[in-house]
Formats: sequence, structure tokens, C-alpha cells
Amino acid sequence: MSTSTLSRPRPENLRTSLNRSNNNLSGWAFATPFLVFFLVFLVWPILYGFYMSLTGKSLTGANDSLIGFANYAEALADADMWHSLGNTLYFTVISTVPLVLVALVMAALLNVGLPAQWLWRLSYFAPYLLASTVVSLFFTWMYNPQLGLINEFLTGIGLPRVAWLNDPNVAMWAIVIATLWWTVGFNFLLYLAAMQNIPAQHYEAASLDGAGAWRQFFSITLPQLTPTTVMIVLLQILASLKIFDQVYQMTAGGPAGSTRPVVQYIFETGFTGYRLGYSAAISYIFFGLIVVVSVMQFVITRRRSA
Amino acid sequence: MKHFESLTGKQLSRRQLLAGSALVGGGLMAATLTGCGGAAQAAPVQDIDFWHLLSGGDGIKMQAMINAANQANPGFTVHPTVLAWGPPYYTKLAMASAGGRPPEVAIMHASRVPGYAPGGLIEPWDLDLLAENGVTAADFAPRIWEKSQQDGKVFSIALDSHPFIMFYNTDVAAKAGVLGSNGQLGEVSSPQEFKAMALEMQKVTKAHGLSFGYLGSGSQMWRLFYTLYKQHGADMELTPGQPMKVDRDAAVESLEFMASLFDDTIAAQAGDISTGIAEFARGSSGMLFSGVWELPTMKKAGIPVDAATIPTLYGTPASYADSHSFVLPRQLNHNEDKRRDVYKFVTDVLKGSLSWAEAGHIPGYQPVVQSQAYRDLTPQIHYANAADIIAYDPEAWFSGSGSDWQTYFAENVQNVLLGRDKAAAGWDAFEQRTNTLLSRPNPV
Repeated sequence: MSTSTLSRPRPENLRTSLNRSNNNLSGWAFATPFLVFFLVFLVWPILYGFYMSLTGKSLTGANDSLIGFANYAEALADADMWHSLGNTLYFTVISTVPLVLVALVMAALLNVGLPAQWLWRLSYFAPYLLASTVVSLFFTWMYNPQLGLINEFLTGIGLPRVAWLNDPNVAMWAIVIATLWWTVGFNFLLYLAAMQNIPAQHYEAASLDGAGAWRQFFSITLPQLTPTTVMIVLLQILASLKIFDQVYQMTAGGPAGSTRPVVQYIFETGFTGYRLGYSAAISYIFFGLIVVVSVMQFVITRRRSA
Repeated sequence: MKHFESLTGKQLSRRQLLAGSALVGGGLMAATLTGCGGAAQAAPVQDIDFWHLLSGGDGIKMQAMINAANQANPGFTVHPTVLAWGPPYYTKLAMASAGGRPPEVAIMHASRVPGYAPGGLIEPWDLDLLAENGVTAADFAPRIWEKSQQDGKVFSIALDSHPFIMFYNTDVAAKAGVLGSNGQLGEVSSPQEFKAMALEMQKVTKAHGLSFGYLGSGSQMWRLFYTLYKQHGADMELTPGQPMKVDRDAAVESLEFMASLFDDTIAAQAGDISTGIAEFARGSSGMLFSGVWELPTMKKAGIPVDAATIPTLYGTPASYADSHSFVLPRQLNHNEDKRRDVYKFVTDVLKGSLSWAEAGHIPGYQPVVQSQAYRDLTPQIHYANAADIIAYDPEAWFSGSGSDWQTYFAENVQNVLLGRDKAAAGWDAFEQRTNTLLSRPNPV
């Protein structure tokens, strides 16, 4: 027993270091499944994909010798690559703006205290839970030039029919409308949560000073939402850049290639056109673009939080 | 394949995607696994994997033919896998073959074989073994047999040819006074005569004379275009490294004629494939340009329908067609017993292809075509002459049914057909696109 006082610190030290290594071990054990997937399905494909982009590899396995940056040179001179990249950027711009603004308006409307909040929240968010295939089917039917609900409505109020998915000037907007209906709920939810986090005292103080509802919205709500807006815009840009599903299912890139996004061009070049090496090169060019946007996001958010 | 192809091309379901990636993943895993073990089991009944892309009415016929072959051959069981028509099918087949775990036998469009054979994705047929099973070159029409070869080797065995033809409503035609004395449509031999005939029919239906839906479908536009183009007696050659060899005047004239049909009187200005089929099936038009595979739909619709090859409007009889052909994807591990079973299965199906003819296709196996039972099939017998005038796609690694090349055709030509663009401009843009493809390295 006399030793107990002396030895007391030691077992504790031992225990904590044991604990720590136990923690480390179990930490690694928990992280391993993720790490394995991360390495096998992300790190390795990124490295291997880059290697592939330097070869002429085809789907059949032929021509897998190194050809340097020839694929990149070809891609940079490929009008279809630029056209599809342009389509992706165009979609990103014309989808991000309404996806942010409409979400903000919806959240603000709900936040003024409509009754049956849960119903509004549910109905705004519910489309987001649908698979892209379901959304595409809905809209393909509604956009049908002869039988579709939308043209039925337009002719009903005396407007001309629109060849939604068949007119190169309209098709991308039709995709944007479908995407807006589908995914605006997510941004809406982020905005609503942020609005409900703005302390009520701010509004009280403002109304004591005689500020009306509009004044409060522009001087309190919007500034308080800035961090959320930055996050939503950046998330939305990244999501829009990845556009593929809806287009592939609704127009397959047509009419006249007016909606083909770069991801579809990568898919076509590699899988239906057999040229894996070349399609890898295009995807790395696109990857470079996404990295630039992500770095911008990182820099902006860090500056805000600092 | 049938009119749903336009849908399956676009509307790939998530489940199909998952199934596809599972197949691909499975194929890759299998490729690594077979390296260490080899799973050759000496089972009494051989399992034969068979992939095809026939998901419509002809898919049901195919299943019946498979069942018949399975029953007649207790030594093997054929397990079919049906995949969506078009790019999804060919991508999976190519990846499974490249990954070393393809099915033992598969259906391909003959026009897609040039993209597969040189890369070693498929193996040539053994003519001796075919002959042992009672099938020889003499059993096929010359054009079809010629198409089955690449560099002197036979890579595909044609189950059928399925040309692009003209259905017509005999009631409408009779009322319009355009039926011949034999009860079939009278002959027309120029674009003007054809339009006049269509206008007569339009007076009867009060809607349109002709149905042809094309919006969003490069395959469909290509079928009619290539029929008309070949009727000029013109050729088209695609040689990698060289510009496309083509008769530009014939191409532009064909496109101009097509565009002139879509004036909302002769035919609807803008409609997709299914809209065109539905219009004809409810009797709102007198004629339909379509593939033979729509025959079951028309019979079911209960309209008085007959059919013929598309009239020769430019002097040379020609009809765009393709063939569903059996191919042998390259195997990593050869199993001689399975190989023999595959030959037995394929030859059995060929010999039993009369039921395939009921789905509209013209059987490739001539003894069936010459049988009395086939001669009794109407309207099939009225377009059976198509087998002698069929024109397959020009050969290249990127051409063929459901290829991206046909999509590029749509991209450049749809606006011409909609009247928004000049035929010459649309054609030149397509030719330029094709030349870009030709200038690129051949990946197979």
C-alpha cells in the first residue's frame, strides 16, 4: 500500500498513453474503410487517369503507349470540346443565379410566418429527394411539343407552342427550369436555417427605430445571410459544373449539340467513341477548371472566417 | 429494337446504369480472378451467356426462339441478357470484351462490326464448324454474306436484315386512287410523283399524307437520308486519314427533298418517332416511313396495312438496312464444348427464324426465306425484295446503328428538316464533323 502513492502517477500515465494509442488504433480502424475507398476510388483513379491522358489508350486496350501531351494539344484545338465546355459554363451561369435567388425568395416568404410551415418546407424540399431519372421523365412529358402539359397551358392562354427540348435556343433553358424545380429545395433549406438563426433582437431594435419590413430585409437579413450566400453560390457553381444526368436523359445533348455538357462529351469520347486516353485528357482540362473554382471557394471562405 | 429506341437512347434509368456498372465492375474483377484460378467446372449442362438488345416485340420472339433451342438441346442452357438499344449496349459489350469476361455469344448490328473486329474484341466464325451444323455461305444473300466479312474472315452471322421501308394504309390508298391493279401501291419513280401521291392521300385523311417522325433521332434521319442518297447511285467512303468521299450534290438533293416533305400537309413539320407511328396507327396518314420492326405494332393497331420498299425516286433501287448478327466476343479461356454449343444454338436459331420473320425482319437464312411458309406471310413477302437492294452504313470505326456519328448527323441536319437551315449548310457541317473524326487516330 505504501507504494501506491508513489506509483499512482505512473499507471495513470500508462493508462493515458495506452488510451491514446488505443484511440489511435480504433481511430484508424474506423477510418480504414473510408481510406480504402478513398485510395481505391479517388486517389488511384486520379493518378491513373492522368497517366491514361498521356497515352492513346482505347476502350479495347489498344494503343496504350505514351504519347506525351498530344491528347491535350488535340483537345485544346477541338471545337466540340470548347463548345461543350461552353455549354457547361453557360448552364452554370444561368442555373446558379435563379437557384440562389429563388431559394432566397422562397425562404424569405416562408420566414415571414406563413401558417403550416412544415407543409411548405416539405413541398419545397420534396423534389430534391427524387432521382434525376424521375425528374427527367416528368419534364420530358410536360415539355412534349404536342401532348405536353406546358404547351397545353400556353395555347390555353393564347400563346404559341414552344418546342422546348427541340429548339436549340430554348433547350438549355428548359433544362434549367427542370433543374430549378428539382434542386432549389436544398438551397432553400440552407437559407431558411440561416434566417431562423438571425437573432430576433436585431429585428426588434430595427422596428423600434422605425425600419419597415423591406428595410429590415435589406439591412439585417441580407447582410446576416452573406456567409450562407457565399457558401450556397460556391456549392451551386460546383454542382452546376457537374451537369450531366438531366441533359443526358432529356435531350441526350441535342438539339444540334446545344445542351451537350462537357461531362457528356467526356463520356461519349471515352465510352461510346472508345478513346479513353483522349477523354481522360479532356476530363483533366475540366478538372483544372474545377480546381480553380474550388481554390477560389477555399480562399474566399478562409478570408471570411479569418 | 422498335420505336422505343429513341427513348432508351436517352432515358437510361438509374437501375440500368447501376446494372451496367455492376457488369463492368464484375467484368474487371473477373478478369483479375480468372488469372489466379480459372473457374472451369465440368458441369453436365453448359451455361451459355447471350447478350442482345431486342427489348420490344421482337424481344419476345427472340425469347421464344431461345426457349425452343434450349428445349431441343438438353446439353446446354442459353441465358439471355437484354440491354438497352444503342450506345449503352455497345459500350457494355466492348468493355466486357476488353475486360475478358464477355458473353459467349451476342447480337450486334452488322454495321457496328467494323468498329469491333479490328481491335480483336470479337473472334471470327469457324466456317467448318458452321458447315458441320448445316449452315454455309450459300445460305445467305450475297450482300448480307459480303457484309459479314472483315479482311476475308467472317465475323458476324446475320440473323436477319431489317430495312427501312414504307408502310401504307390500303384503305386510304384505295380511296385516294393510288392502288395498282394488284391491290398494292402503284409505282412512283420521281420525287414529284411521290409528293403527288402523298397529297392525294392527304385529301383522304384530312391530316397528313405521310408520317415520319425524326426529332431528336439521328438514326431515324439517317435511315431515310441514306436510302435516298443511295438511290442516286452514289457511294460514300470513310477512310481514316482522308476526307470523306461523298457525292455532295446527291446528299444535298436528298436533304432538300426530305425537308420539302415536312410542310405540315404532306407530313408533320416536327414530330418524334413515336408521334409519327401513332399518327399512322390511328389512320391519320396514308404512309409511314419506318423500320420493318414496327410491323407487329401496325398489325396490333388493327389498320389495313401493307408494306413495300421505299419507292425508287432517283433511279437506283436502294434501301437502308442493317442486320442483327451473331458475334463471338473474344474469350480469355476457350472451352471447346461451349464453343460447339454456341454454334449449335446459333444455327438452330437461324433455322427457326420463321418466327423472327413474323416480327417483320427478313430472315438472313435463305432456306427460311424460300420456304412456302415465308411466302405466305404478308406483307413481309411484299418487301422481301429489299434484301437484294439493301445498303449498309459506310464502314468506319465510328459509324453504324446507334453510333455517335448518327447523333452528329442529327445535330447538323435537324435544323434543315425543320426549315431553319439550308440543306447545303447542314450537309457541309456534317461533312466537316465527319472529316474531323476521320482525321483522328483510329482507336480500335
